[in-house]
Parts: sequence; structure tokens; C-alpha cells
Amino acid sequence: MKRFLWFTLPIVLTLVLWEIISRSGFVSPALFPPPSKVAVALWGMITAGTLFSDLRASLWRIVAGLFVGSAVGIFIGLLTGRMKSFANALSPIIQILRPLPPVAIIPLVIVWFGIDDGAKIFSIAFAVFFPVWINTHIGARQIPQAFLWGAKLLTASSMKIFREVIFPAALPFIIAGVRTGIAIAFIMVFVSELAGASSGLGYRISITHLAYRIDEMIAALIMLGALGAIADQLFVFGTRKLFPWIKFSSK
Amino acid sequence: MSHIAVKNLAVHYDGYCALKDIEFEAGKGEFVAIVGKSGSGKTTFLHALAHFIPFSGEIAVPKNVGMVFQHYAVFPWFTASENIGFGLGDKSGNERVQIVREHLKLAELEDKKDKYPAELSGGQVQRIAIARSLAHNPEVLLMDEPYGALDAYTRDKMQQWLLDVWATHKKTVVYVTHDIEEAVFLADRVLVLNHHKFTKEFMVPFARPRHEEVKFTPEFSRLRKEIFESINSFEG
Repeated sequence: MKRFLWFTLPIVLTLVLWEIISRSGFVSPALFPPPSKVAVALWGMITAGTLFSDLRASLWRIVAGLFVGSAVGIFIGLLTGRMKSFANALSPIIQILRPLPPVAIIPLVIVWFGIDDGAKIFSIAFAVFFPVWINTHIGARQIPQAFLWGAKLLTASSMKIFREVIFPAALPFIIAGVRTGIAIAFIMVFVSELAGASSGLGYRISITHLAYRIDEMIAALIMLGALGAIADQLFVFGTRKLFPWIKFSSK
Repeated sequence: MSHIAVKNLAVHYDGYCALKDIEFEAGKGEFVAIVGKSGSGKTTFLHALAHFIPFSGEIAVPKNVGMVFQHYAVFPWFTASENIGFGLGDKSGNERVQIVREHLKLAELEDKKDKYPAELSGGQVQRIAIARSLAHNPEVLLMDEPYGALDAYTRDKMQQWLLDVWATHKKTVVYVTHDIEEAVFLADRVLVLNHHKFTKEFMVPFARPRHEEVKFTPEFSRLRKEIFESINSFEG
């Protein structure tokens, strides 16, 4: 109960303060609509069905981009982290691409892949790849030698060692990388939907800007923020359920 | 016929000499302890015996070797029973279950089989590590300060447990420790490693099965003192 109060009270107070300021006459209600108007706009978006279709479009791009970027990042990271030859061969390329702000590739991606979902998923995957790769790489390199030596005495299968020793030993780092990737995926989906999209929360925010519907814009922003927070919490919850030993590993 | 035979062993790390002129033998079923200061090369010796690191000279050990480490002894992502079952994949399902059950019992952790290592005490974790090694039925067990991180009371109990286990399995054991009392209590023979070479050997005369009380006898104290002096008086 106390936790619930600490969670809701700041939100309620912010909304009340916001409502008062918007209606006080000090600011233009058109530029700074009160939460009650935003709520009405949100309800309008729900009943018109645009909110649902925007959410679905953005979410699909995020999930697909995150999955592809993470899968490639984990795979390459385990290879470069555990095999010197791979690290030597791939590091220069990756190190040149890494300082590039991922949003900078979006114009090129549009030229290459057009404006459909594939282009957006590629942009997200590209951006997600780097934090996942670096974390996996570091995670795979820091594995205590005793784990590997011990495993070698107990099994001759290097596939088994890779799957059951190297992967879980690097997993806390991999999870940290993917979590960073989730935050980056939200940035990338928004930016990639600003230009050349016909659906998605980013697209909605950009056209409400043109239509001067600040109430709808704020409603879409709130949805984007809420979606990000929910995705992050779901990820933390899911990893705890799947890998219960990780929460203990800080001991 | 010796079970482990080492001739003229030397180990160098990037120009640094970690071990030199090492001659070593252990008979089948013998319990040999190696004591020495930190940095004397105790752990390196075990790593060479297990063929983990490059060395020069000759090492003859049986093929099936088990090892217990002080740190990272078990996999934190596996439960007690999963740890013990790791690497038993070549066995049939039933046989595997049977081996895991037996060794959980050996480790006195039947009621904790689904616990993760972080939920268990240091002594319980080391018992899993030892049981895991024994589940593979190794001919030789190498132990690298397995009790180094345990408190004195737990260590005493674990020493007694290890002697009981050893009495039934009769593995050849090479046991590295910095604790002279532990070495004398457990081993048939104690070797002193000073500055990268063995400098002294002590036979332990106490009858088996051994119990705590032997630690309080004058013979035990005398032997302990002799070993202590052979480590501390050495100027290499």
C-alpha cells in the first residue's frame, strides 16, 4: 500500500499542478493543454483506432529490430570475446562503425531499403547491435579461467562448454547490453518514423506537430514513454524468471 | 608402481620461472599435501599436473583427472544437482540420475538439490564441487586450497568429511593448502614447496581413520612445527 502511494502520489500531484498551470492563463492552453484535454485526445485516438495501430506498428519494429540486433550482437560478441582471430579480424570494422551516431544512417537506409518496415527494422537492429556486441564481448572475455578449466575436465564437448558455460558466464553482461539496446531501440523507432513513415508513434507525433494538435502530440509522447518503461520492466521481470540465479550473482 | 610421476618439471611464464627441478611421485590411493607460501608455485604445480598450462619436463598422470578449485569451484547458473550432473551426458538417463543422487547424498545436500550455489554456504558449495569431481570417477583428484575461504569451524568439519569420503573412494589426491595443520591432518605425506621447488618431505605417521583428537597430540604439534620451520627458515 505504501509503495503504491509512493508510486502514484507524484504522478497525481504532477497532473494536478499541470492542470492548474494550464488553466491559470499564464500559458497558452493551445501550446500547453491541460491533462484533462490530453486525456480526451487520448480517448479519441483509442476510439478512432489510430492509437492501437500506431502502437502495433512501432512495437513490431522495436521487437523485430531488437531481436535481430541482439541476436547478431550476442553471436559476434561471443566469437570476438572467445576467439582471438575473430577479434583481430572484426574489431577494426566494428570500431570504425561504432562512433557513428546510429541515427545518421537513417537517410542512407531510406535510400537503400525504402520506407517500409524492413528499413526501420534494419536501422533499429544496427543501433542495438553495438551495445549488445560490446557487452557480450566483455562478458565473454572476463570468464574466470577456473570455469573453463573445470568444464574441460568434465566434458569433451566444446559445443556443450559454449552453450552451458561460456554463454551463461557471459549472460549478466549480455542482459545489461540488451537492456541498453531496448532504450536505444526506442530512440531509433521514433527517429526512423519521423521521416518516411505512415504509421507508428513517431509518425503520429510528427503529423500532430503539423496539424498543431499539441494535445494528441503529448498523448502520443506519454504512450511512447509508458511503452518504454513497460518494456524495460517486462525485460527485467522476464530475465529474473528465466535466469533466477542472476539476481543472486551480485553476492 | 606410481600413479603420478613427474620428472624434471619446469614452468615459465613470460620469462618468469614459476617452477623448476620438480621431481614428484604419488602412489595409487595416496593422499599427498603440498604446503608453501603464497607465490611458491603450489597452484602452478596443480595446473601443470592437469595439463592446463605449458611446461617442460615429463608428467605422467592418469587420463581421468578431477580438480577442485578454491574460487569459481561450481557454476553459479546451475543448481546443486545440475552442477553434479554436468558433463555426465554420455551416460544414459537412468544412470545419470542415479549418479547425481548418490553424489548429492555424498555431499549431504539431498534436501538442497534445487538450490543455486549463491543460496548455499561456502562449505556446501565446496562439497558440491568435490562431489561433482567424484561423479566422474576420476583416478586422481587435484585440490587447490578447496577450504581456503572457509571459516575455521567449517574447515574442521569439512576436513573430517573429506577424510570419510576419501576412505570410501580411495582416490589419489594431491592437495594444495597453506594450512599446515590441515595438510598434516589429511595427508599421508606432506611436501614443502619453497621458491618454486620441493625442498622437504614429511611422512605423516598417524593411523587412519583419523579424528580431530589427533590434532591435540604432541606428535602432531611436533610435526607441524617442523614443517613450519622448514617453510620459514628457507632462504632461496
